[in-house]
Amino acid sequence: MDTEKQDAVTHAPVSQDTGNGDLLIIEDLHTHFFTHDGIVRALDGIDLVLKSGKTLGIVGESGCGKTVLALSILRLIPNPPGRIVKGSIRFQGRDLLTLTEREIRQIRGNSISMIFQEPMTSLNPVFTIGSQLAEVVTLHQKRRAGTKAQAREVAIDMLKKVGIPSPEKRVRDYPHQLSGGMCQRVMIAMALACQPMLMIADEPTTALDVTTQAQILRLMNTLKEETGTSIIMVTHDLGIVAQTCQDVAVMYTGHVVEHAGVEAIFSCPLHPYTKGLMQSIPRMGEKVRGTRLYAIPGNVPTARNMPKGCSFNTRCPEVMEICRQETPPPFRPEPLHLVRCWRYAP
Amino acid sequence: MNDRLLEVRGLKKAFLLKSGVFGKSTGLIPAVDGVDLDVSADETLGLVGESGCGKTTLAKLVLMLEKPDAGTIVFEGKDLRKARGKDLRKIRKGMQVIFQDPFGSLNPRKRVASIIAEPMIIHTMGSKKDIARRTVDLMEMVGLSEDMLSRYPHEFSGGQRQRICIARALSVNPRLLICDEPVSALDVSIQAQVINLLVDLQEKLRLSYIFISHDLAVVGYLSHRIAVMFRGRIVELSDAHTLFASPQHPYTRCLMESVPEPSPQRTIRKNHVTGNLLETNGDDLQKGCPYSPACPWADGQCIAETPELVERNTGHFVSCHRHR
Repeated sequence: MDTEKQDAVTHAPVSQDTGNGDLLIIEDLHTHFFTHDGIVRALDGIDLVLKSGKTLGIVGESGCGKTVLALSILRLIPNPPGRIVKGSIRFQGRDLLTLTEREIRQIRGNSISMIFQEPMTSLNPVFTIGSQLAEVVTLHQKRRAGTKAQAREVAIDMLKKVGIPSPEKRVRDYPHQLSGGMCQRVMIAMALACQPMLMIADEPTTALDVTTQAQILRLMNTLKEETGTSIIMVTHDLGIVAQTCQDVAVMYTGHVVEHAGVEAIFSCPLHPYTKGLMQSIPRMGEKVRGTRLYAIPGNVPTARNMPKGCSFNTRCPEVMEICRQETPPPFRPEPLHLVRCWRYAP
Repeated sequence: MNDRLLEVRGLKKAFLLKSGVFGKSTGLIPAVDGVDLDVSADETLGLVGESGCGKTTLAKLVLMLEKPDAGTIVFEGKDLRKARGKDLRKIRKGMQVIFQDPFGSLNPRKRVASIIAEPMIIHTMGSKKDIARRTVDLMEMVGLSEDMLSRYPHEFSGGQRQRICIARALSVNPRLLICDEPVSALDVSIQAQVINLLVDLQEKLRLSYIFISHDLAVVGYLSHRIAVMFRGRIVELSDAHTLFASPQHPYTRCLMESVPEPSPQRTIRKNHVTGNLLETNGDDLQKGCPYSPACPWADGQCIAETPELVERNTGHFVSCHRHR
């Protein structure tokens, strides 16, 4: 792979007005895992831009590196075996990768917070939700919640904000007394307790029922409007992306293969993988029985059988000779539309 | 189409609610509460509902993996609840099941060949040679190659494992396949492969499916008719097209409005599920419509009387006092 050549093109984020309105800029991020079976390149050169006040969706199938990306931003990659080997993550102008452990701890939970997939297991079962909420505030923002009573006030206030009925009573509840949807509301309340600039949500509704999911997504949309917090929404569900995001990055085997605005991704997807994904989801009430769903052939390659060149070349219906030889760099067929596919080479 | 394969009437099952250190029973939870169902030959009946609505319990009851408290299950003219031992096993050969988790439902210590052959050995379907030949055919039928037969389940991806489960289920030539969330654990691109496989097999083998899922879009794609379950009851039953075009029960509408559509132009519509839907417990369910605590149109009658599942239009059954 011709790294030099690639880097030259790579370092051009989607948004061209860099520095104004870009909250988070990730450039050429590589996170590798050093295992017994060799190196797993979970992230293999990621470039992303998140504009402030927007929601960026990160979509992809299991194993594509979505969660590793989310964890890399907060430097939560377990080391060993994982390590961020290269790249930069600039958040409000500071490179998170150069910060000391102490400095990054000031950022975690404070200016960048995270919501995980399993609300039930993310909460501590032996503490009340009130004390867990208060802990976040007392840890990070002493002056807002110096005393126990103040912290409790903040906790009640946050529970009210995320729409939990009778929060004065609920602060004394333990996680097992709440339903999954309620627990996820508590998680959101915790994530927003310190008024972060950025909230990373890793599959926040996957464990929930559809009706509950709709409530949580609506809540997140409303809170984003109110607080101006930017969101990174990691998900495998294209419906959720369409409903909550303004920008989308499609990931495949550790690469962002397509990065554009949500309208563009849905109305004119460019990368064959994105096109395949769009066609393979059954749409509600639109089916004609007898027509087949489009299915992307084959499986996602694993670290051991990663093909040479473009990692999608074994499943791609539009594969060309060059795809089998060289990894495509990001191309920009439209000013705000990035795609890593040789089809769009200028 | 109208040759009836499975007929379920008044099926009920309640579980004891246990609490405390000694597991003292503190109440009954009606998991399936008076369900009537028919499945015709070559038909796919979709069963949708949220977690805890009784979908899986219903599937287990139909298979007699769980003993019903009341009701009848007639499969190919034979009453399952009256059959015992050998007879029951013979009837059950005609109905097979695929589960959600393709990782948990295959024995990790057996090779694929013996996993697929096992049901045929149990039901003594021919000599060793016949069974071996049929195993190869089955592998091909579900889109796997013959040389994979000597591998262990962990060597396969989720989609391939689900294919193995399908091959195992088909090995005894069932008429009815009960699919309990068969694609929920799979990635989108793999999900489409398995859905297509199920459609193809149905045409080829003239199978009937009961397809259980929480995903309305998938159920809508695969099913001829769809039953919507809520709190152990069927609240609406209709052919797939009508259900999507004009859903009648407030819960069905709420479900449909909750599904995030993969199209940025259409935003999530305000649905009318209120928080208390999650908070209501078993005690409130003894009388009245189970959906009434969350229903914006509920009135006195809804709280007092449980609505029956009645036919509104031909083939369209709704259980609601309000929508007429």
